Amino acid sequence: MKHWATSLWQKLFGDSVRAFGVVSIVFLFSIAIAPAKNHFSEWRHYQHGYLKMIRNRSDANTLQRHFDGGIQQIWLPEIGVVDRCTSCHVGMKEGTLRDVSSQPYRPHPVIPHKLDQFGCTMCHRGQGAATTVAEAHNSTLAWEQPILPAKYIESSCGECHRGSLPGTPVLNQGRKLLSRYGCVNCHLVRLPDGTTIKATDAPPSLSHIADKTPREWIYAWLKDPQAYAATSSMPNFQLSDADARDISAFLIANSTPLAGDTATLSAKPSSDPAAGASLYGESFCASCHAVTNAAGNVVGGDVGPELTRVGSKVKPEWLHAWLQNPRRYDPGTGMPHYRFNDREVATLSTFLLGKTDSDLLSNVHLDPATPEQIAHGKRLVSDYGCASCHEIAGIKKPENFAPELSRIGSKSITQLIFLPGMSHTLPDYIAGKIKQPRAFSPALRMPQYSFTTSQIDAVTTALLALNDRSTSLPPSLTVPAAAESNYQPAGKAGKLMADLACFSCHRINGRGGDMAPDLTWEGSSVQREWLVQFFKNPGTLRPALIRRMPRFNVSDSEANELADYILTVYQNPIIDRDFVPPGDDSQGEIELGRQLFYGKYSCQGCHIVETKTDKGYIGPTLTHVGSRLTAAWLYQWMKNPQALRPGTIEPNRAMSDEDARALTAFLVSQKGVAPKEVEKK
Amino acid sequence: MAKTADQYFDDLRETRVWRSIFRSGTGASTLKRALAIQQNVFLHLFSTKVRTRMLSFSATWYLGTLTLGTFFILVATGIPLMLYYHPSVPQAYYDTKDLQFVVSSGLFLRNLHRWSAHAMVFLVFAHMFKVFYRGAYRTPREFNWVIGVILLLITLLLSYTGYLLPWDQLAYWAITVGSNIASAVPLIGNKIHFLLLGGNSVNANALLRFYVLHCMILPLTAIFFVAIHFWRIRKDGGLYAQSSEPAVLRSRPVASEKEAQ
Repeated sequence: MKHWATSLWQKLFGDSVRAFGVVSIVFLFSIAIAPAKNHFSEWRHYQHGYLKMIRNRSDANTLQRHFDGGIQQIWLPEIGVVDRCTSCHVGMKEGTLRDVSSQPYRPHPVIPHKLDQFGCTMCHRGQGAATTVAEAHNSTLAWEQPILPAKYIESSCGECHRGSLPGTPVLNQGRKLLSRYGCVNCHLVRLPDGTTIKATDAPPSLSHIADKTPREWIYAWLKDPQAYAATSSMPNFQLSDADARDISAFLIANSTPLAGDTATLSAKPSSDPAAGASLYGESFCASCHAVTNAAGNVVGGDVGPELTRVGSKVKPEWLHAWLQNPRRYDPGTGMPHYRFNDREVATLSTFLLGKTDSDLLSNVHLDPATPEQIAHGKRLVSDYGCASCHEIAGIKKPENFAPELSRIGSKSITQLIFLPGMSHTLPDYIAGKIKQPRAFSPALRMPQYSFTTSQIDAVTTALLALNDRSTSLPPSLTVPAAAESNYQPAGKAGKLMADLACFSCHRINGRGGDMAPDLTWEGSSVQREWLVQFFKNPGTLRPALIRRMPRFNVSDSEANELADYILTVYQNPIIDRDFVPPGDDSQGEIELGRQLFYGKYSCQGCHIVETKTDKGYIGPTLTHVGSRLTAAWLYQWMKNPQALRPGTIEPNRAMSDEDARALTAFLVSQKGVAPKEVEKK
Repeated sequence: MAKTADQYFDDLRETRVWRSIFRSGTGASTLKRALAIQQNVFLHLFSTKVRTRMLSFSATWYLGTLTLGTFFILVATGIPLMLYYHPSVPQAYYDTKDLQFVVSSGLFLRNLHRWSAHAMVFLVFAHMFKVFYRGAYRTPREFNWVIGVILLLITLLLSYTGYLLPWDQLAYWAITVGSNIASAVPLIGNKIHFLLLGGNSVNANALLRFYVLHCMILPLTAIFFVAIHFWRIRKDGGLYAQSSEPAVLRSRPVASEKEAQ
């Protein structure tokens, strides 16, 4: 063996000429590896694969013409994008490759932007400059962004688009949840435009809580808010029995009575056992309040709190006063002031108090509170930051109670502490933290939310959009959100609108809810008689929708006051107020309009004029439109509906003036029968 | 009779073109060979004559030559690297990335430069140890030892300045730490620190400074001292071999023995 090795050594390195030759050859080979490695690079392999794939296709010539060999890149110096992804993802722009499902040749789905407008990494993250699969998708270096999982992709839309978009339901939901569940009460989120996200969860004041609920309910609620109401936005703080006992003791001891927030009624409730349920229905309480039915489904709106077990929560005297006028207890409540008479209040409160759950409070037995317990409760209230959300007399709202989340989407992985078995990516960390905050440390004070997986993904998406890039984008690229206005209607009508909480559902001049129609131009659109009548007895305009507008039992003078204000103030300047409506005598024009309605424009596809034959359930029923809408509005609506209501699904048919006039004449003639009955009355 | 390769080479050296370029003529005489070395601008730094024994591997382990070889590789790869590199904060890191991603054989170029640099530092130390343990630093070669120490310093500085240029986290923190060590110098430490970085922390000025040092000042200084280093080998009596030392020096006892006497 040794002999064999020596002879080989002699053969290769025996003298200087041999040694030089052998070393040279070895060196030459090792140098040749470099160009060879270059030649067998991954992107070349994928481009060959692409060419092979398109060769046998019918559109081979077109695809071949579009194909450019070599490294491709999208270079956008002003936003720092150098994306070479298209070197391998060659068929990205080829719509005809829709049938190809294998990567990297699948074409990009249709999006509102051109593919080379912003490049790839702006949305997908990853390392754009890389030309190898591993480096581009899962960069090994910690300070690079790995590719963003597809379920969070909408977060990238949110970097530029600060408002909600029709194409980003997940992002919109996540942003809404951040406000709706009060995340931003504790965590400050400063947006790139300098504003902060505002909470919309409207947590109640606890300063007068003793008037409203018994201590036992507070205890049960603190232990598990979802046990009382599945839809509760209050999270579970996982308090011990003693802690819940002490906090409830403190809240009761700290509560001060409020004049007028309780009432004893002399009136007896209606003797009809079904009267309460029907009053609940007639008042459209379910438009805002939900109830969990026997099947376990939550039915109703989510503007107000769930009422499934309200009888176990509130004291009867408080409920009476609340139903008489909720603003006495909470001036800022979104609940309208119904003008109920005492008998109705008694009937409705009896119905609501019957909604109890004997299991909820059966195991709660609290001894009278001791001063030590109350003091301990006060300390806990400060420790858990209760005053971040709730107003509590004597406790100041803490500043910066929880970490600021304004740049959470760019948090470096090196700054995170992961749980064992968790994949080391930022989205997984955020999702994990929302899912089970205390799993990261039992000492954390962040409570347990009862989010579903899709809600967690939505919140994660919204948080990932809060990153360095969104703050450093050139202003020309950002699309700001519509500014939330603090519009306040003036005068007596303004007070009335506040009392009726119109803004809980309707939007006017940029303020208000989205449950009901935007009323910003309502004065231009409707006729006064119809509006007054609608206040007295509202109905739905669309056959496909259930009615949500409650009857507030307003007086004639209140209805007239409101109608006058709306007709005067909510006028759209583009409506021609001098528009001369087609007269009743213009039968020819009406007939022409009817033909256009059923012929050229096929309006019956969405609307109903003849209740017997038309089947349009999408748009409002038009049988009474002539007594509801003004002719000037109808004419303008025909010409350009989007100008009056941006985002309406009514198509813009680019009508000529003659057609619009004829259709207006036809619609104005649709006065229905109901108004005549009203006149009789 | 067929000519040998040597004869073809001799013929070549007899041509008019060759003679016009190289002043020394042909001939195997010692004088001619000595002239060929002495009259060449590059080779005249070296001794005109070297003992065959000194060219054997065991004499020097070729450590000095290998160091020079790595230095040549570093110059040869460093120049193309300069073509792909901008010493600016927004660009530097992405330029080194692009060497990997889009420059043909760019990663090979960069790695060759990097590994040769590591090898050079290692070889310089090895060379120094070999010289030290063989006693080749002694009279009359003391000054060449000093030149060698200067070259060691330049090598280390080249390595240190090159470390910042990729402008990654490793570079940033290594230079931050290194420059803080410099500020530990008594009295003028902070001044040195400021001078080195062009500021109080590692930033764009430091990058530019290190680039100029790495690509111009230090290599030119190194070449200058390498030339002196080689020239001194000749002047100090050629490559050191113990047997070649004068008998006086060879028999001279080392200091400790002298004291013991």
